[in-house]
Amino acid sequence: MLKPWSAETNTPQANRLDVVIGAADLVTAVAALRQAGWGYLAAITGLDLGVDAGRMEVLYHFCEGAAVLTLRVMIDRETAVIPTLCNLIPSASFFERELIEMFGITVEGTPNTDHLFLPDEWPEGVYPLRKDFQPNA
Amino acid sequence: MSLNLETTWQAALEKVKLWARVNSPWAIHYNSGSCNGCDIEILATLTPRYDVERLGIKLQGSPRHADVLLCTGPVTLQSKERLHRIYEQMPEPKFVVAVGSCAISGGAFQGCYNVVGHIDQVIPVDVYIPGCPPRPEAIIDGLVKLLGKLQNPATEMVS
Amino acid sequence: MHTSEHSKTAEKFIVPIGPQHPALKEPGHFEFSVEGEVVTAATVRLGYAHRGIEKGTESRNYVQNLYLLERICGICSHIHATAYCLGVEQLAEVEVPPRAQAIRELVAELERIHSHLLWLGVAAHEAGFDTLFMYSWRDRETVMDILEGLTGNRVNYSANVLGGVKYDVDDEQSKAIRQGIDFLEERTHHYLDVVTSDPVFVQRTRDIGVMTADDARRLGVIGPTARASSVGRDIRIESPYAAYADFPVKLVLETAGDLEARFVVRLKELFESYRVIREILAALPPGELTAKRMPRKIKAGEVISRVEAPRGELLYFIKSNGTDMPERIKVRTPTLCNMASVLTLTVGHHLADVPMILVGIDPCFSCNDRGVILQHQDGHDHWNWERLRQFGIDYYAGRR
Repeated sequence: MLKPWSAETNTPQANRLDVVIGAADLVTAVAALRQAGWGYLAAITGLDLGVDAGRMEVLYHFCEGAAVLTLRVMIDRETAVIPTLCNLIPSASFFERELIEMFGITVEGTPNTDHLFLPDEWPEGVYPLRKDFQPNA
Repeated sequence: MSLNLETTWQAALEKVKLWARVNSPWAIHYNSGSCNGCDIEILATLTPRYDVERLGIKLQGSPRHADVLLCTGPVTLQSKERLHRIYEQMPEPKFVVAVGSCAISGGAFQGCYNVVGHIDQVIPVDVYIPGCPPRPEAIIDGLVKLLGKLQNPATEMVS
Repeated sequence: MHTSEHSKTAEKFIVPIGPQHPALKEPGHFEFSVEGEVVTAATVRLGYAHRGIEKGTESRNYVQNLYLLERICGICSHIHATAYCLGVEQLAEVEVPPRAQAIRELVAELERIHSHLLWLGVAAHEAGFDTLFMYSWRDRETVMDILEGLTGNRVNYSANVLGGVKYDVDDEQSKAIRQGIDFLEERTHHYLDVVTSDPVFVQRTRDIGVMTADDARRLGVIGPTARASSVGRDIRIESPYAAYADFPVKLVLETAGDLEARFVVRLKELFESYRVIREILAALPPGELTAKRMPRKIKAGEVISRVEAPRGELLYFIKSNGTDMPERIKVRTPTLCNMASVLTLTVGHHLADVPMILVGIDPCFSCNDRGVILQHQDGHDHWNWERLRQFGIDYYAGRR
């Protein structure tokens, strides 16, 4: 079903399918899933591949029964931008807020960009889950 | 701690106040970011098996009526302000009990961003109850020790 | 305060509540816009229990992380540890002996029992029904004793190790567990009766907070909250882990989708837990408690581990990089998914129903970690949770 957009697929475990897609195709791919009534959005994971790699990855996990489909989107670390899923899946808002505050990724069009977990006084531009953030002991 | 100028009725009043405080301390509970383990054990002390109310300790909701603050958790950055505020709202004399390893030293969360660590870095603490979480018996033991401290002002009662 | 996505209308006020909850014992901060007494909008601010755990895992090795992750939540500590261990074991391609998996399931179900009974007491307290709170917590002591007998601690039992479990079940413990379960089963029948027939309860739960199956799917809810609206999501059944393939549970569904249904689902689930515990005790597979060898360095890979916590699906994403410390651990807890539904459900309800609707999803703030604001046209009105709770109780007392 996701063939039209998938750049690469992988089956890391028997019940899991990883599909690499471009940020531009994300929304269309998810719309197709919603149309087909397949799965629910279980989580959105951000991965910082490191300052040297210059890229970050955003994983969208969809579950149906025992199967887990992960859409993997690679984005540039400096200009980290990704479109929102909130128009299709309103409950994605919490996950996207977490992504924004922890990784500094801009999610275009997401309705609420308040901090979810971090305090209001947390310094701007400091993203705790990025690899270059070291908590002081 | 008695002044020569203290009249006898003032001394008697102090005794009555002390008796009231020792026999019926009102406690307020605050979770500064804990995993709830300590909190459910504190709640458990209210339940029939442990029944801390028979010792006169009553858990209620407003800081303005409280003698004792039972505090759990490793103090997250968001809670720090609120913890201060609650402490300030309590009338003198007030006592603080730090419940659980996190409250004492940060516990498993030492070194994590967003965590201050010890409650005594934010407000002064009178009694520390270690454990992860401490059993209800340990909590009651700690509270009884606090009452002992109240009864015996000679043992460094800090005002 | 920070956001309010609504501009002022004729007579709207917002009630801020939190972050200290005398009843829930957990911090959180909600903001409700109210017109008269009906809620028109709601937002939530979490973060009071945010301890930076995900980042913390990156500087601890896998063994240390086990102890850290157990303490995400004191109520569901075992299930967090189980999800983590199952994930790491898969990455390391280690096979865990069947006896250990069965014991993991046993402790998980015991944890579910303690959690649901705890919740029942807290929910009763929210409704002003303190007698039920006292009774359910007293009965809960039975299961705490069992857990203590098995593992040495009442909370944070730490029964898991990477590769298996630490504690075994002998005949005497088995007998004690059975006795405890028998007692609890009888009590649970009583609670089910109370919850469905007591006028205090029914008034506050029947037809309140109704969520249809479609809404439930759209809002992405999981766990007992979803099952109360006929959405049959239960990881133990859909994707069995530990020993659930050998000792399965049956799906418990309710169709009403209201608060009462959420109570009934959890209580009925308890019966399933009792049944499956007896089955495990009767047929505990013999053998070792831990795998022969558990490597310290875990080879590089990614794994997704999903389990059914008492509140719903718990998802762990673990990425390893060949060293003895993980690259990334992501924890997605059930309350985060269900929280969105609270914000939607409360709209259109009376302010008095808010405490019960929140408690209906069985929120675990330390798992997520989060306060309430009521906004007046002429300013803020700060309530604390106690006041909101009392408001709810008085409102309904006046209507009887």
